[in-house]
Amino acid sequence: MSHLSVQNVTKRYGDTVAVDDVSFEAEPGRILGLLGPNGAGKTSTIRMITYIMVPDAGTVQYDGHTVGPWSQQRMGYLPEERGLYDRLRVKEQLVYLGTLKGLTRAEASKRAAHWLDRFDATDWADMKTEELSKGMTQKIQFIATLLHDPSLLIFDEPFSGLDPINADLLREIILELRRDDRTILFASHRMEQVEQLCDDICLMAQGDVVLQGPLHEVQEQFGQNTLVLEFDGDDTFIDELEADEKVRVISRSAHRAELGLAADTDARRVLDLALARTDDLFRYEQVVPPLNEIFVEVVGEAEARQMRGATA
Amino acid sequence: MSFHKIWLILRSEFWRRVRSTAFLLATLLVPVGVVILTAAPAVFGYLAEQTDERTVALVDQTGRLADSLVATGGDRLNFRPTDAPVDSVRGAVRNGRYSGYLLLPASLLEGEGRGTYYSMEGGGLSLRAELSSYVNRVVRRQRLEAAGASGRVLQIMESDVDLSTRKLSEDEGTTSGSSLALTFVGYAMALAIYFAVFIYGNYVMQGVIEEKSNRVVEVVVSSVRPFELLMGKVLGIGAMGLSQMLLWGVLVMGGLAATGPVVALFFNPADLGVAPDASGQAMAEAIGLSVPTIPVGLIVWFILFFLGGFLLYAALFAAVGSAVEQQQDAQSLLLPVMSPLILPILFLVFIIESPNATLSVVTSMIPLFSPILMVLRAAITNVPLWEIATAFVLLVGSFVGTIWLAGRIYRVGILSYGKTPGFREIAKWVTYE
Repeated sequence: MSHLSVQNVTKRYGDTVAVDDVSFEAEPGRILGLLGPNGAGKTSTIRMITYIMVPDAGTVQYDGHTVGPWSQQRMGYLPEERGLYDRLRVKEQLVYLGTLKGLTRAEASKRAAHWLDRFDATDWADMKTEELSKGMTQKIQFIATLLHDPSLLIFDEPFSGLDPINADLLREIILELRRDDRTILFASHRMEQVEQLCDDICLMAQGDVVLQGPLHEVQEQFGQNTLVLEFDGDDTFIDELEADEKVRVISRSAHRAELGLAADTDARRVLDLALARTDDLFRYEQVVPPLNEIFVEVVGEAEARQMRGATA
Repeated sequence: MSFHKIWLILRSEFWRRVRSTAFLLATLLVPVGVVILTAAPAVFGYLAEQTDERTVALVDQTGRLADSLVATGGDRLNFRPTDAPVDSVRGAVRNGRYSGYLLLPASLLEGEGRGTYYSMEGGGLSLRAELSSYVNRVVRRQRLEAAGASGRVLQIMESDVDLSTRKLSEDEGTTSGSSLALTFVGYAMALAIYFAVFIYGNYVMQGVIEEKSNRVVEVVVSSVRPFELLMGKVLGIGAMGLSQMLLWGVLVMGGLAATGPVVALFFNPADLGVAPDASGQAMAEAIGLSVPTIPVGLIVWFILFFLGGFLLYAALFAAVGSAVEQQQDAQSLLLPVMSPLILPILFLVFIIESPNATLSVVTSMIPLFSPILMVLRAAITNVPLWEIATAFVLLVGSFVGTIWLAGRIYRVGILSYGKTPGFREIAKWVTYE
């Protein structure tokens, strides 16, 4: 099957380098999470993959050929900033966007009916788009992304603005698309969504790829230096540990804490303290760090490097 | 470049607008308005002349003009000679017995002094002209007679000379419609192109801003090239504009053709000075409600220059639209687009006065002006084919150029959000890869 390959791609706007010599690959049947803070170059990279822009240097290849109008026909793109034609009716909107992807009107119309049914939205077919709620518009735009049966899919924050039920429906469909051996790119800030969905990740910062690989390998790279505790009773020992810089608090609530171990801290010491101070300890687990932690750490380092580079 | 994609976009842009209520209303109401505005002055003017019968007291101090004035005054102007003192005549005017009084001093026949008309309302323009022509005629006649002119001379002096203007057409010998009507047609066509380019160009800009500000553009350009989107949009709105103008043309012509004879039914042919068995058309012409005959060639040039001018300016409007997120932000960027569009309006009067002066020929060849000025010249004078063809070729070359330039700006602009860029920034976009 066809895969997507981004090779040494660079994009400048005037004097600003938005994407600097970036390379990564996305395989069919897998979901690649494209992560990074704002301004990391994600949108520019996506725009080059979707052939909305061309790189200043490097190539983007799909199925072994440089992307172009031909690959746009095989690709579906859901941008982060959603938008549809306000005054077109839903069905008409879908048919129009479908024909722009190379479908005939009849075919587009048939598929629109199928997907509207799947999303329980057949009643909206003749409504004007401006009359729809935000969540409804989201669904329509998602349908527009899938209508032409693309083999490469790019979703930028697909869950934003969706209620939990519809988010589940969307997740289900994305996983279905993965089973059909499509290549899927998933850009998001929401690390828990990325952890749930992605097989591979590619983390960008300052126009560079700072970390990439299969999700589990990446997490293991950072070692099992994270503790998850669930308990009842006094939790002041956590404050003491933190004050002594023995641990970093990743997240904390009344009965649960995720702690990052400092390099010289023995995990055993935390366990002893917890057993001694809490009334009850339900869970003590040493795990790989959550993606969010890795994200903060790696991006922080990249930004610090950038700062040093700028002052040097 | 995919012409199929351009066609898909064109069709969608066209239908989306054409079926809107706003389009239907504008397309139907504008011709109704034009026909009413054209018909109303003719009808009211004529009715006013008909009903405005005046009785004018005549204080003739020369003692020799009264009889001939009474004889010449037409249906609408009755002269009543009176010997009453001026004060009592004045009173009679005040209490409404007379519309006014005309005082002719004795010195008038010696070529001194002036006749004066006194009335409560001051009288209209046409009354003044009418009175003056009657008084002129009788006074001149009296003076000529006093100087011993023969009856033949008197006859010559009194005969009216008609003057009409005709335009020579290319193939010698034949004459076409009256040049006054064609001047009017040319003026109307020039203004129509100006407004059409302005209004439809703004539609293009609004469409671009709308697509950009509601973000749908990013989805669309992941399916088609930005240039295809630009061309589809410009051509779709152009097709809509052309259809609207042609419909307007047909409806206005049809409306006038239908209204003229209908209005004419209310008039007596004799009042209009046409034969009692005159056709509806002839009657309509007599009350100034006729449809001028427009040469087919002129209509073809009108369409070609409208399309050329529209493409030239619409591309620039689109480029401006792509650079901003809101209509208001476009104002400062529109200056270089609007100026060359407004400038030719200043030349209209000059060109109507002297359509073949060097300045007229040169300005009508400049691509930014030719859609307005060349059409005007083509209507009012015989423009050599090479001039009009050159102007058109230059126009085509220019719109290819502006569309290319606009396309370069557009593809960067539609994806740029944030601060409204200045001209320097936009110029940089053109060089982006």
